[in-house]
Amino acid sequence: MANITKKVSWSSRGDESGAVWEGTPLLNGSERPSVSRQDPTNWRPKEIPHNEKLLSLKYESLDYDNIENQLFLEEERRMSFMGFRCLEISRWVVCGIIGIVTGLIACLIDIAVEELAGLKYKVIRDNIIQFTEAGGLSISLILWAVLNCAFVMLGAIMVACFEPIAGGSGIPQIKCYLNGVKIPRVVRLKTLVVKVFGVICSVVGGLAVGKEGPMIHSGAVVAAGVSQGRSTSLKKDFKIFEYFRRDTEKRDFVSAGAAAGVSAAFGAPVGGVLFSLEEGASFWNQMLTWRIFFASMISTFTLNFFLSIYHKKPGELSNPGLINFGRFESETMAYNLYEIPLFIAMGALGGMLGALFNILNYWLTIFRIRYVHRPCLQVMEAMLVAAVTAAVSFIMIYFSNDCQPLGPDNAEEYPLQLFCADGEYNSMATAFFNTPERSVRSLFHNPPGTYNPLTLGLFTLTYFFLACWTYGLSVSAGVFIPSLLIGAAWGRLCGILLASIASTNSIWADPGKYALIGAAAQLGGIVRMTLSLTVILVEATGNVTYGFPIMLVLMTAKIVGDYFQEGLYDIHIKLQSVPFLHWEAPATSHWLTAREVMSSPVTCLNQVEKVGTIVDVLSNMSTNHNGFPVVVQVSDNDEPAKLCGLILRSQLIVLLKHKVFVELAQSRLTQRKLQLKDFRDAYPRFPPIQSIHVSQDERECMMDLTEFMNPTPYTVPQDTSLPRVFKLFRALGLRHLVVVDDINRVVGLVTRKDLARYHLGKHGLEELHLAQT
Amino acid sequence: MSPQSFSLFFVFAVLNLRGFAVSDAVNVVASDSAENLGKVSPLSPLPGSAVVDSPPVFTPAVGSAFLNLLSSFPEDLEISEYCSELLLVFGQRYVTYVDCLVPAARPVKACQNCFSSYGSLVEVYTNISSDQMGPGNVSCRDSLLRSDRLMLVYQLFSSLQHIWEHSACSSCVSKGYQSLSNDTLYFLDVLNQTIACFDKYKQGNLTDLCSNCKSSYKSLNVLYGRKELNQTLCIDLEDSMNMTRKLWSKNFNCSLPREETVPVIAVSSFMLFLPIIFYLSSFLHSEQKKRKLIHPKRAKSSTSLMNIQDKQS
Repeated sequence: MANITKKVSWSSRGDESGAVWEGTPLLNGSERPSVSRQDPTNWRPKEIPHNEKLLSLKYESLDYDNIENQLFLEEERRMSFMGFRCLEISRWVVCGIIGIVTGLIACLIDIAVEELAGLKYKVIRDNIIQFTEAGGLSISLILWAVLNCAFVMLGAIMVACFEPIAGGSGIPQIKCYLNGVKIPRVVRLKTLVVKVFGVICSVVGGLAVGKEGPMIHSGAVVAAGVSQGRSTSLKKDFKIFEYFRRDTEKRDFVSAGAAAGVSAAFGAPVGGVLFSLEEGASFWNQMLTWRIFFASMISTFTLNFFLSIYHKKPGELSNPGLINFGRFESETMAYNLYEIPLFIAMGALGGMLGALFNILNYWLTIFRIRYVHRPCLQVMEAMLVAAVTAAVSFIMIYFSNDCQPLGPDNAEEYPLQLFCADGEYNSMATAFFNTPERSVRSLFHNPPGTYNPLTLGLFTLTYFFLACWTYGLSVSAGVFIPSLLIGAAWGRLCGILLASIASTNSIWADPGKYALIGAAAQLGGIVRMTLSLTVILVEATGNVTYGFPIMLVLMTAKIVGDYFQEGLYDIHIKLQSVPFLHWEAPATSHWLTAREVMSSPVTCLNQVEKVGTIVDVLSNMSTNHNGFPVVVQVSDNDEPAKLCGLILRSQLIVLLKHKVFVELAQSRLTQRKLQLKDFRDAYPRFPPIQSIHVSQDERECMMDLTEFMNPTPYTVPQDTSLPRVFKLFRALGLRHLVVVDDINRVVGLVTRKDLARYHLGKHGLEELHLAQT
Repeated sequence: MSPQSFSLFFVFAVLNLRGFAVSDAVNVVASDSAENLGKVSPLSPLPGSAVVDSPPVFTPAVGSAFLNLLSSFPEDLEISEYCSELLLVFGQRYVTYVDCLVPAARPVKACQNCFSSYGSLVEVYTNISSDQMGPGNVSCRDSLLRSDRLMLVYQLFSSLQHIWEHSACSSCVSKGYQSLSNDTLYFLDVLNQTIACFDKYKQGNLTDLCSNCKSSYKSLNVLYGRKELNQTLCIDLEDSMNMTRKLWSKNFNCSLPREETVPVIAVSSFMLFLPIIFYLSSFLHSEQKKRKLIHPKRAKSSTSLMNIQDKQS
């Protein structure tokens, strides 16, 4: 939180004129009224429609940096060698529990989806069979649509009305969390419950979504919950793992949880670790990596074990991951050097299609944020999408003339015959009348000739728009599987076309290979993940042979896609106005110095401060500051005070709550000394300042902050360049960076939002606005 | 690599040759079986090709040109008379089964026609492979099945076994290969009724056929579906059902027509129309969400991009 006083500074006029200039039209610039051009001299807060060039005030940084105050040192002194060993062991235990619980959740989702979807498809299938003969297929269509709508309505109501943060795949939110942004309510138990049931509802509801993305979020929530040893929502404290109740530890566990989620979703433990590495790499160490890997492995093992029991083959551990791409036979799936250019071309195509997907989704999301923001509208929208998905699928199936015989080893669970000859089934129905995972698998593995090109082409086209329309609804659902499905469809189409061009060459005969490459290209084009996605795909297919082509394809897709538009997750992070710090400061920003970046003037507190002042500062609604430099007056004259520490809002609140006043300490000598534990107990939901009652007498008391403040905050001189400040922030996970002059006087404070507002746009360096959202 | 392995093979072959030449009984058996096989070879390609494929084992015994190359092995290394008898019987039954299979290939009748000959083949193979000691306290399992790299008897049998398993014949045949199971007979009966019905109306109008044979065809389908669920189908039934279905759908064109296009299109276009209304109305009626801008306090006015431009230029 920027630490800014409300005083009107002389710079205001400059800010305003800058803001006007920054009103660069967006892609859909026509929708944007030119409010920003009105009376720049007026101080009335401007209102503009939501757009991507904003930073929201509701997001704060995590306190990753350790506060080395006296309490901390004391506690460390008291702790024995055994204590530290136990701590280390309990870290492992926590990771193990995270893995197990995440695996169990994945198992629950998988079984629930399988059972419910099975039931739904069985009912609809029976109905269709009945009405194919008797007439009245439109009733089947209505039944299908109504069933879809009912499930989706349940999921959407839960998300829209109870926990909006549980919407979407959750990967953008987890990315932000690992980046060091505290997203409100993102790791709560309630979110987890809504997420899990929401994703079951939306997948069973037949939307073009997958259940894999939400697993990552679920894993993260599990980690955040387990590591704290208590649930604030349930008001239950197990009195364990108390040491881990701070942002530093919690965030490490959350990265383990995210990895466990990935590994449960795709059966890719290494991919999970790499995902966490890719997203939260700035705070990394070897032991942590090893622990995260442990959590991943445990999670995929747990899922595996329980699914084997569910599939009535207990102990058979060959079902890793929610999605099982199935094994690729190595001899039919061999690839040759001359196919590499083809793969690269497919990667480029995937990048372009992915960029198109992202652009369409970007417009749609802007529209949704601006106009579809009421919960009832969001629920209605989700239901409409569900109904339309059913209708489109039904039309596709109804008018498809592509009939294929049932294969000998056909794993088709719900074959639809409709108007096909007996013994054959509608090939469009294998793609549409199925959960998306099954469709992906059949696209990968069905023998050549299962689909005809027209079917695949139509399927790709419709599914592309459906998936694009679906992502961003207020249902919890992932985009991995739909992207894979789109890619697999057009990839298979490519394979079929190639085989028909070069009919003599047998290596091109198997379209399953091209389906895999297409899936990788499409997914890479949409989400733009690199290393972790390669490994996830390699692990999910269980085939290392494809490592090289998949890598090439993902690289090409990313390069081509980035030329047009950012990745889907980055778009959504931007649209949520999150102050996200990228790997590096924007290029061409070296000329910006800390003096220009920082917020100034800063609200400082004295080392021994009057309680009234503190309460007033904290209750100032307009400036929700979070860190306060503590200063000490060297001499009695008017000379500005020198920096001696930094104290956080949360600490001050705990101090006020416990009434740690100098006067009281003198009167009651026996008063218990405040310990670090008292701070941890209040974590993570510190009470608001309004709930703390301070009487008029107490306002006159003094508070000594010496013991509690961080005596050695990071500082930089005023001339430090922006990239340098940025590096400090990114590498150390800082929340506040004090800017001092040459005699250690506070001149300003740099926070995350001060840095995140610079970004490289089309017109060079641009600046984002701060906005209330 | 390859010359080495070739020479190994050669040594091995020679060893085998010597083995065959060691006693008269063996010579007789070998030539007998070779003759036998030679006789059937024009009819059944499988044993014939076995003869062609493995000349080192069989030809020397017939043509005695190499006999002088063979020296005899000690008695106890050779197969007993009992075993060679078993081998002979095995060969005969093998030939019978294959003889039966080939004509039953199309339309598939491999289970109905040949289950008994497979049963007897299995019987003799069980004898060969059993642990029990035959007369003279010998077990033929080791000497016949696994005394050489080729393991010919085993391979021959397992290839046929594979065919049997692949065709899933065991689900149509009663235990002990005595007869076809009652289920199967019943199914064939129903099938025959349907075919008879087809034959009856084939000449006339096909729509008549569709309506008249519908009941029997349907009951056949239901029965088949039930058997499919129970997994009591063998290749014969599957194939005949496939043919019947093809007749019904393709030849007689009795598939269901696509006739309610209009209501389906009407309902679905109604559904497709709803989102348009929804988005239009929310665009027109919903109040646009606005964000309040906050004005950050900066030490200098240089945050404005005007100034950035100035500074850069």
